[in-house]
Amino acid sequence: MTHCTMDDLVALRAHEGSVWARTHLESCDVCRAELDALYQRIAQLKALPARAPARDRWQVVRQQVVAERHQRRREWAGWSLAAAAGLAAILIFRPFAPGIASADELAQAQQASAQLESTLHQYGTDGRVESGSAASLAAQLEDQIAAVDGVINRLGNANGAVQEDSVVAMWRQRVQLMRQLVQVRVTRVSYVGL
Amino acid sequence: MDIALAVSDVVVARARSGDLEALEALYRAFETPVYNLARRILRNAEDAEDVLQETFLEVVKSIREYRGEGHLWGWVRRIASSKALMKIRRDRLRTTEEFDESASVGRPAMSVAANLDLERALDELSDTGRAVVWLHDVEGYTHEEIAEMMDKTVSFSKSQLARSHARLRLLLDAAPESR
Repeated sequence: MTHCTMDDLVALRAHEGSVWARTHLESCDVCRAELDALYQRIAQLKALPARAPARDRWQVVRQQVVAERHQRRREWAGWSLAAAAGLAAILIFRPFAPGIASADELAQAQQASAQLESTLHQYGTDGRVESGSAASLAAQLEDQIAAVDGVINRLGNANGAVQEDSVVAMWRQRVQLMRQLVQVRVTRVSYVGL
Repeated sequence: MDIALAVSDVVVARARSGDLEALEALYRAFETPVYNLARRILRNAEDAEDVLQETFLEVVKSIREYRGEGHLWGWVRRIASSKALMKIRRDRLRTTEEFDESASVGRPAMSVAANLDLERALDELSDTGRAVVWLHDVEGYTHEEIAEMMDKTVSFSKSQLARSHARLRLLLDAAPESR
């Protein structure tokens, strides 16, 4: 007499058993006992006592978090400085360069930025796991974008046509950073391959 | 293992803003279940502690992305499961261990017969088999979810589950108490 295999029993437990297996089970004491044993084994697994770590790892986690925050603060300050320096260079050298800024160029950069924002939203934060390096890189890029946004805001509040080139340049820089961020998000590791 | 982990919304909100005390409260709430999950999937306590640490570093980094959809434990557990599975993969790459259960099959029967209980039987399974059994039967993940986490097919997950149960049955039958 052919009995159920473990595949059959596991499928029966999941209410996915074949017609043959379900029919066979009704008339076979051996297979019913095997299925009961499977249920019991799983109940035993669930009832195993929880294991607790021998050591407290919170302090290690805390130290690393604090160190990373200090590092990010330093980097953010560096990028803000770099953005400000870039802006200053534009303002200083503008009188010797032909004016390149135009409303069209600004609109193009802003449109590209909006499209990238939209793309980023599609690959956005859905709670999936990304690798530590990807998360770190994304955080750095977000910091840089925030620094550029800060400069754009300051320029937006200032008056004068002299700001136009600077605004376009900053928007272009924002687009470049957004492209890199999208790349990180698209290629992030959302699963682990075994 | 059923886990009723209640963390107040206030603590979660504070944790999302980066408050270290709130983050520690999250750690204390989830420390044991995360470690237990990792320890059941991995063979060794040190590796499980590493997964605990990596999981919470990830939680701290990503908590702002948690939107409150679903239970927080489900979100943390997903991170912990992925970290534990990554650990298995890294170890496998390092040791170039065979992916099937042949390593266990070839072990002397006496070592099996001498000390079998359910936990020891679990330890005798392949890394993949043990992970699938624990994630499916205890943590309640579906085969689709397990397949996604492992970057394998649903059939692979189902087949690993059946093979592992067949092996568990043999191991438990061989235990002194069963004779």
